[in-house]
Amino acid sequence: MLAQLVVSGIAQGVLYALVALSMTMLYRATTVVNFGHGDLVMGGAFAVYVFVVYLRLPYLAGALIALAVLFGVGVAIHQGLMRRIMTGPHLAIAMMALAVGYALRGGARMLWGREVLPFPRIFPDRAWAIGDVVVTSDNVIVSGTVLGLMVVLLVLFNVTRIGRLLQAVFQSQRGAALIGLNVDGVHRLVWGAAAALAALGGVLLAPITLLYPDMGVWVLVRGFAAMTLGGFGSLPGAVLGGLILGVMELVLGAYLSTAFIDISAYVIVIAVLLLRPDGLFGRQVVVRV
Amino acid sequence: MPGAAPVSVVRVPTLGRWVFLLVPLLVLPVPFLVNRYIQYVLNLILVYVLVGVGFNIVIGNLGQLAFANVALFGLGAYASGILVVHAGWPWWTTIVPAGLIGALAGILASLPALRRIRLFYLAIMTMAFGELLRWIYIRAEPLTNGSMGLAVPPPVLLGLRLSSDRSKFYVFLVLVVVVVLLTSSLLRSRFGRAFMAIRDNELAAAAMGIPTDRYFVLAFAWSGFVVGVAGAMYTALVGHVTPEAFNLLELILHFAVVMVGGLASLAGSVIGAIVLTTTPELFRSFPGVQELVLSFVIIGVLLFLPRGLVSLLARRWSVFHERYYRE
Repeated sequence: MLAQLVVSGIAQGVLYALVALSMTMLYRATTVVNFGHGDLVMGGAFAVYVFVVYLRLPYLAGALIALAVLFGVGVAIHQGLMRRIMTGPHLAIAMMALAVGYALRGGARMLWGREVLPFPRIFPDRAWAIGDVVVTSDNVIVSGTVLGLMVVLLVLFNVTRIGRLLQAVFQSQRGAALIGLNVDGVHRLVWGAAAALAALGGVLLAPITLLYPDMGVWVLVRGFAAMTLGGFGSLPGAVLGGLILGVMELVLGAYLSTAFIDISAYVIVIAVLLLRPDGLFGRQVVVRV
Repeated sequence: MPGAAPVSVVRVPTLGRWVFLLVPLLVLPVPFLVNRYIQYVLNLILVYVLVGVGFNIVIGNLGQLAFANVALFGLGAYASGILVVHAGWPWWTTIVPAGLIGALAGILASLPALRRIRLFYLAIMTMAFGELLRWIYIRAEPLTNGSMGLAVPPPVLLGLRLSSDRSKFYVFLVLVVVVVLLTSSLLRSRFGRAFMAIRDNELAAAAMGIPTDRYFVLAFAWSGFVVGVAGAMYTALVGHVTPEAFNLLELILHFAVVMVGGLASLAGSVIGAIVLTTTPELFRSFPGVQELVLSFVIIGVLLFLPRGLVSLLARRWSVFHERYYRE
């Protein structure tokens, strides 16, 4: 029973981890917490829906184009909106992120109304039993894609030139600017990449769940919770936070009551922050004077 | 900000207390000029004025990323509704209890801040608070009637039934004037100046001898009281309290009232309430368009009027200059 919960929880948690990781990247590079990130996940799901269902492209091609489109959306959000208010107060940036997400949701609702869209089944419908643990092909494909991608990101981040550029900006925007690095270019790139990673969540979710304009809220809350749980700004923390959250949700739901699934993310975050105000893997925040 | 001139040195003309009486006097005849639907929207605006005023204390004046406002609003609304339905109290006697429940919840929401939880950590904790409450509203069926919502009979004031929206308008107007006047006094006093000292530099404020913890609790408590009263008004206006009215979307709306109107500005909260209540009503029958227009309004204000719509007034009349907000 517990083993099954852990396996299913991880399959769920990789999606939270993906959202949390992309939000954390964005936060580290630009200090923006994107409260509209869930709606980029929704955007990815609806984009792949358009390409696969309306334009009859194969799933893989549709998925890649959807990611490219959302990359563009991310760059546009930075260029057109965020860049202009970056020097303003935190509250204005938070409001802007919420408003952008709200606009995306409004756009989806205008086009598709309140109906819930089913997506054709793409992944093979299979399941394997290992002992008494059942693993479905959905689990394998989603977790495999996300975990594989994380390995690729880890390598890119530590080996390539762009990776080192990113690390410099993560450490200090001012320092990176002082030594002549193109910080604005990095911001643009990271906005695009973060939006594309969020969209990947949507692309992977689309064949598994139903599509509706508000689907992002649910993901944003979990992603944000995972990010906080892992310690705000920590990349490995975001991934671990997502996995822990996914498992804990199912475990609490199974052993306490299924009613807790809706709020266990919140309960876990409150409990962790009261005990460890900087998250599980976070460092003490330095006070700026 | 270190090195900034002390506020008291700069003498800017202030909005005299008379505006708090003049503006309400000017709107007195309005209910006789409009139809029932517009009257309902006007009443809703009055509810959201208090929602904005209360929220502004915590995010504008105290400068914290605390998003418990919908929780406070919902508790006020449910407290009033439950007292009317289950305890049989007349509505007007539930106004102060709803405010007090809001204040208590505000104090509860300030506790993480006292544990030095700040910024985004505080944001998610306070958001979680609101979502936990919404979950409780759904589960506590004997009290709240669950997700069906609690039907509340028309409000009663001193034995009079306020069944028309026009009569509610006058009661709401009096409530708003009283609460805004009290808030204005609080913000002008040493307490209010302490809030802003904490916002501008918490460490420096503490070093100056301001007991920051006490002021955190005070700001959250008063904010909770104001928003709790707004909740009681909401119950009287709508007559049907549902958990879905207090979800994260409602939080975006509250936040937008403050940001579109103007941070740390009472006049701004009024303007924000007017704009953000009427805009969705205008586009009520166009799903999607409603959200798009609303977000374009917010984005436009953030880009071109970063200090909110109140700064448009401030350009013309210096009395609208927000004395207490500097960047």
